Amino acid sequence: MIRALALMLALLLAVPAAAHEQKVTITTVAHNPRTGLVEVVHRIPLHDAEHALKTQGDTSPDIVNDIASRRAFARYVAERFAIVRDGKPIALTLLGTEIESGRLLVLQEGPSPGRGAEISVLSKVLTDVWARQENRVNLGTGTSVDTLIFVAGDRAKTAVLP
Amino acid sequence: MRLIAILLAFFVALPAHAQGIQQTKGDYEDKFRQLDEVLPDPNVYRNASGAPGFRYWQQQADYRITADLDENNRRLTAKATITYKNNSPDTLPWIWMQLDQNIFKKDSMAELTNTFGGPGRRGPAVSAGGGGAPARLSMEELRRQQAMEDNSYGYDITRVSLTNGRELSHTIVGTLMRIDLATPLRPGQSVSFNIDWAFNIVEENVIVARSGYEHFPDDPREGGNDIFLFAQWFPRLVAYSDYEGWHNKEFLGRGEFTLEFGDYDVTMRVPNDHIVSSTGVLTNPSAVLTPTQRQRLAQARNADAPVFIVTPEEAEANESSNPTGVKTWRYTAKNVRDFAWATSRKFAWDAQGHKQPGAANETVMAMSFYPKEGGELWQKYSTAAVVHTMKVYSRFSFDYPYPTAQSVNGPVGGMEYPMITFNGPRTNLNEDGSRTYSESEKVFLVGVVIHEIGHIYFPMTVNSDERQWTWMDEGINSFLDSVAGYEWDPDMPWTRSLPRDLIPYMTSTNQVPIMTHSDSVLNLGPNAYGKPSAAYHMLRDTIIGRERFDFALREYARRWKFKRPTPADFFRTIEEASGTDLDWFWRGWFYTTDHVDISLDTIHRLRLDTENPDIDLTRRRDELAGEPEKVGVRLNREQGLPIWVLENPGVTDFYDENDQFTVTPRDVKSYESFLEGLEDWERKVFDRAIDEDKNYYVLNFSNKGGLVMPIILGLTFADGTSERMMIPAEIWRRNSRNVSKLLVFPKDKELASVEVDPDWETADADISNNHYPRKIIDSRVEAFKRPAPTSRTGRDLMAEVLVPDLEDAEADTDDEAATEGSE
Repeated sequence: MIRALALMLALLLAVPAAAHEQKVTITTVAHNPRTGLVEVVHRIPLHDAEHALKTQGDTSPDIVNDIASRRAFARYVAERFAIVRDGKPIALTLLGTEIESGRLLVLQEGPSPGRGAEISVLSKVLTDVWARQENRVNLGTGTSVDTLIFVAGDRAKTAVLP
Repeated sequence: MRLIAILLAFFVALPAHAQGIQQTKGDYEDKFRQLDEVLPDPNVYRNASGAPGFRYWQQQADYRITADLDENNRRLTAKATITYKNNSPDTLPWIWMQLDQNIFKKDSMAELTNTFGGPGRRGPAVSAGGGGAPARLSMEELRRQQAMEDNSYGYDITRVSLTNGRELSHTIVGTLMRIDLATPLRPGQSVSFNIDWAFNIVEENVIVARSGYEHFPDDPREGGNDIFLFAQWFPRLVAYSDYEGWHNKEFLGRGEFTLEFGDYDVTMRVPNDHIVSSTGVLTNPSAVLTPTQRQRLAQARNADAPVFIVTPEEAEANESSNPTGVKTWRYTAKNVRDFAWATSRKFAWDAQGHKQPGAANETVMAMSFYPKEGGELWQKYSTAAVVHTMKVYSRFSFDYPYPTAQSVNGPVGGMEYPMITFNGPRTNLNEDGSRTYSESEKVFLVGVVIHEIGHIYFPMTVNSDERQWTWMDEGINSFLDSVAGYEWDPDMPWTRSLPRDLIPYMTSTNQVPIMTHSDSVLNLGPNAYGKPSAAYHMLRDTIIGRERFDFALREYARRWKFKRPTPADFFRTIEEASGTDLDWFWRGWFYTTDHVDISLDTIHRLRLDTENPDIDLTRRRDELAGEPEKVGVRLNREQGLPIWVLENPGVTDFYDENDQFTVTPRDVKSYESFLEGLEDWERKVFDRAIDEDKNYYVLNFSNKGGLVMPIILGLTFADGTSERMMIPAEIWRRNSRNVSKLLVFPKDKELASVEVDPDWETADADISNNHYPRKIIDSRVEAFKRPAPTSRTGRDLMAEVLVPDLEDAEADTDDEAATEGSE
């Protein structure tokens, strides 16, 4: 009960007026048996990414044409996503970004704990910006995936890497 | 105990009754079961073909409103005379009104049920904490809480009376109000009554709403300026329909609106330095516009490009103005389901006449209103996008049905009303005072204007029930805005809803079917916009074909223009106008959360036996010879072990000289007897088949995703040629899990490889099982890392493992990005 009173203020700047963000990201986490790596692909609406950068103080973000903007956002995504195995975070290399159908793809990879490994996942991408932000993390690819859903305030969730 | 046992039995038995017809043996699932048992029964109001029935009716609500804006106190005071005509066959003892502004009352259902940190919440950031983490409130949430505390929002209803002055008893229930009539309203009768009201206008950015004011504190005028957007600003009739009676469903913020058509005559009294944009046609231009503005407006009617009525320079000069009085603007609108308007001294205004020869409105005034913050982005693209939308959408539906189509920039990201839309994208102010915009902001502006203007067709004219079914208008509109987008510029990075875009959502768990109430949907964007849009792309380009799909969509639009369709009306119309049974498609895509994954498991090659032993036994001998040597025999040979028959060459018999495939007289006799036993027609067929010696292949498919879909095959032959084949979805009708298909090709056409869904038309989730022979399919990361990726745009390698010399690479990628931006 005491904790309920211990409110902390999130240090957020005002969200820009021109809203209408989609506020949904989908991330795929999959073990690649050919490389032995775990691969992570985040899909973020371009427009959401730019508006998020505005909240970080970038007055004129341009994700499509300004590499500095895009890299800043990619680093932000990488910082707010984690996979933990046996209490230790898996070191994910930030491979880069790509534009796909109005979405920014942010790609990462790291050593895979292997299929069947129990992992903890936490996606805080944009949950510090919008209350309605929802991050879906699909574990596995193809037809059978398990989905973890993260909203603001969620802690890491445990699942088995398919 | 007895009671418990009885109760248990009752509850266990209940689902079986509730679910109707069930397969109770085995696991057969009929994905083609007709929808009759799910859809409402057709009747005299809505017929079985999906058209309005011969006794279709809908109510009519006409409004005469006068509204006064108190700019300084941000309060609107208004009064209306509403005339309600009961076209239903029912006698109505009361009337329900929608009081949407009441959603902002502190004790509204929306406020009370807003979950802390839960999904789907409209508003600023909060997080619930838990597990040792403290709860968090954002500055915006605190600001909202303080605004709610300091202000009294929601309607103040000060009078409800008949036009003769007699008070009418009324009861307010959240965002609804019941007005008890003095005498019940009989079929065909009308009643006129007055409502007076006022409300404090919410600050849109603070409260988070679909309308309100936006404050610009840095404007040169002392105290700054506001843009006011008015929507859900007057008590609106609750819809009364043949399928639900009064639609009294509380406004919770997400499920939009269910409305009646009517004629409007609205007078707005605003500061005399404001410009008003509104649903309808301005009826008193000489009272509110200067001669120059009127002359510019006349010029714009026949212009090929937007003409300024108020130039950006004039608008910027207005920002320092102070009103010297009030101007009265009067707008009228015929046959609209809603009425919205906007007012500010900040607005620049441009207009261009869009011509529709032969239409009821031969010239439609496409217009945009925006502050300096919209700038060049709006000057170049807003009105142009309005005109483009009408050109494209009218091809798929009907002529644009109203005299004006407007795009207004304000605090709302994107929202639609009859003849007027609110759109949010803006320029960025740079340190040197210039204004620029990013490519994605441009894409967003063009995209959102197309989308919101498109809504004037669906649902402003084809009046589907948004409160219940978001997908009905958003699905068609997302589909059509992508069609219009590709006709604007196919290379722009639109956030489009093609089948391939929906795969990660459709395979994910924790989703709900499209047929879910608007207020209960999880993930509204992919559920109500993306998935139905992908479904229509598939129906148009893959399943029905463009000509028949476009015909059916136009027929749906034509049938339900200015009427109220339900999902069943849509499903039935598309089926019957296209001549295609789509019950399986609606059932799978709209009523389930299955996804698409069709696997090509195996291919067997077959060859017709000739029955001629000379031929067939030789083939068998060749087949045996083609088999790999037995491993044990090979190892024996390698080991040098002796073989008896080789070491005893003198000991032989008949069997050493004739193998099992040697033709015997008995074989020959059997062949002759076979030929003699054939009927004449059988002999003819047999001889021809033997002569042609075609290639027969049996392809075995499995359905791993659950959705039954057509099987699209890309066939490549050994001679280098290729063919495309589409097997309709009905192949799955008796077995939705596994099917086989025989393909027959001429002797010289040997199949080399097969690919399922080669153009990614069906949202197939796993392409690794689409190829035969199997192929190793790059993962998305592997494709990204390939030295020369194909069809990849804007790739930026960041990792040092991929970019040995980071500085050089940064220079390269900068160049790459710059080139892409200018193409």
